[in-house]
Amino acid sequence: MDLDPHCPSVSSPDQSGSAGCALLRHFPPEVRAAYLRFLVTADPSDADTILLSVICDHIPNKGALGGAALGDDVFLVAGLGFDSIALTEMVFFLEDLFQVSISNAEIIQVRTVGDLRAFVRRKLAPQPPAAPAPTA
Amino acid sequence: MRRSAVITGLGFITSIGNDRAAVGGSLRDLRSGLRRIEFFGNPSLPVRVAGTIKEFVTDSPSWRDWLYPPGYEFRHATLRSLSPHGLYALCAAEQAIADASLSPGQLSDGATGLYCASAGSPFLLHHNLSRMHAHRGERGDPLALVSSIAGTLNFNLAAQYGIRGAVCGFSAACASSSHALGYALDEIRLGRQERMLVVGAEEVSAETVLPFAAMRVLSSGSDPATASRPFDKARDGFVAAGGAACMVIEEAGAALRRGATAYAEVAGWGQTADGHAVGVSHPDGAGLADAMRRALADAGLQAADIDYVNAHATSTPAGDRAEAMALRSVFTAAGATPRVSSTKGITGHPLSMSGVMEAAFCALALRDGFLPGNANLTEPDEACEGLDLPRVTRDASPRFVMSNSCGFGGSNVCHVLRCVS
Repeated sequence: MDLDPHCPSVSSPDQSGSAGCALLRHFPPEVRAAYLRFLVTADPSDADTILLSVICDHIPNKGALGGAALGDDVFLVAGLGFDSIALTEMVFFLEDLFQVSISNAEIIQVRTVGDLRAFVRRKLAPQPPAAPAPTA
Repeated sequence: MRRSAVITGLGFITSIGNDRAAVGGSLRDLRSGLRRIEFFGNPSLPVRVAGTIKEFVTDSPSWRDWLYPPGYEFRHATLRSLSPHGLYALCAAEQAIADASLSPGQLSDGATGLYCASAGSPFLLHHNLSRMHAHRGERGDPLALVSSIAGTLNFNLAAQYGIRGAVCGFSAACASSSHALGYALDEIRLGRQERMLVVGAEEVSAETVLPFAAMRVLSSGSDPATASRPFDKARDGFVAAGGAACMVIEEAGAALRRGATAYAEVAGWGQTADGHAVGVSHPDGAGLADAMRRALADAGLQAADIDYVNAHATSTPAGDRAEAMALRSVFTAAGATPRVSSTKGITGHPLSMSGVMEAAFCALALRDGFLPGNANLTEPDEACEGLDLPRVTRDASPRFVMSNSCGFGGSNVCHVLRCVS
């Protein structure tokens, strides 16, 4: 399977983004470009671009949106037809894409597109350095 | 009076064609679906030929990479939980449902059931389990189970069509979809269901095929034109194949009332086990002979009533010989000489799907008036003495035909179909 020319093909997938680009190979070029930018800049707006596209891709009932924008107040289950399997599938995709681990306890709190956007932003935010261990 | 069942819909994704017309044409012309293949890019493997599926690209574990013929439209939510052979099965089911003119309401009214057969997807199973091992158990595709284990066809097709009647899968290796058809017939006879979908499907992947090479049961031939030669003296093993076949059977009265066109009646079936060995048939074919006798008795027929037998014969030395012995025991000994052929000479052996696929071939033969010949049969094995093994397909007007299947553990299944035109 050919990768997009935007995406490098090198032997260090985590740093280069080639693994993520492979996951996004069927997404529009602008989504892959946003992904590569995000790896460098960690710009939350790029994460939003990627996330909204991932949500759209995983909507079980494509007609549910009816051409409307994917606003923050749209409910994943009631509004977009997600069931538990589809939600789990999307979480699995996001875990692979962003190399994070998302627990059931975390995802159960997410009900709307806005919830998910905020959650992913928190999850991807740079973590503060751990406090130094006390010395004797 | 016993309820009877007729075949009202057929669908095919096979090595010899991906629709009824193509399959019928291949059977008439004995056009082979076998092609050269190479697994793992390793030319030294002794497996060089397979009954491949054309017009599909499913060699990626990701459904996002798959390609399938135009004319099918599936939602992403449907594709996500499928294996490659699940996709084939869905396409075959779409054909059969359209052929039978069944509405979504009829599929989901509780009077429709679904019986399936496959070995699952060793290809996807390997992919998913390898990933689990690589991540020390911390990562797993949430749809790995339902897309890859042996029940994947019934899980997915039942959900896709909203089927609320009897749904389950059968696991008896190469006899599985024949069991599915037999028990589907019973469901209708017992008045539990009005109609049943019977589906068999398999993949042509290294993970499915090469374990048979380890058993030394595959042909080592490299010429697709001759590698599969059932009943021939020079046969040296079977050629693996894949695809999917779907058959719709309905209670005859219900089919008539809704104006459905029947291909044939499923007139009877029988099954036995050899009680002999795990991986090889009883050398005398005694179990298969008993299965044929039970099918004849169930249909209320004598051996002389059968005009054609679609043999299981896969082109293995032991299996074909055992089946020839069984056929002689049932037919030759009774003074009957039905024409006998194995269509696996052109299709290869698609494992658990072969039973329903070959019963569907028989349905086409009954409706369209032909009897398939034996491709690649040059010099019949001595064990075939007395059997009528035509080399070419002939026009005919058969009344009753029989279809045999055998699986690991000595499972034997036989179906009898009756012409209704």
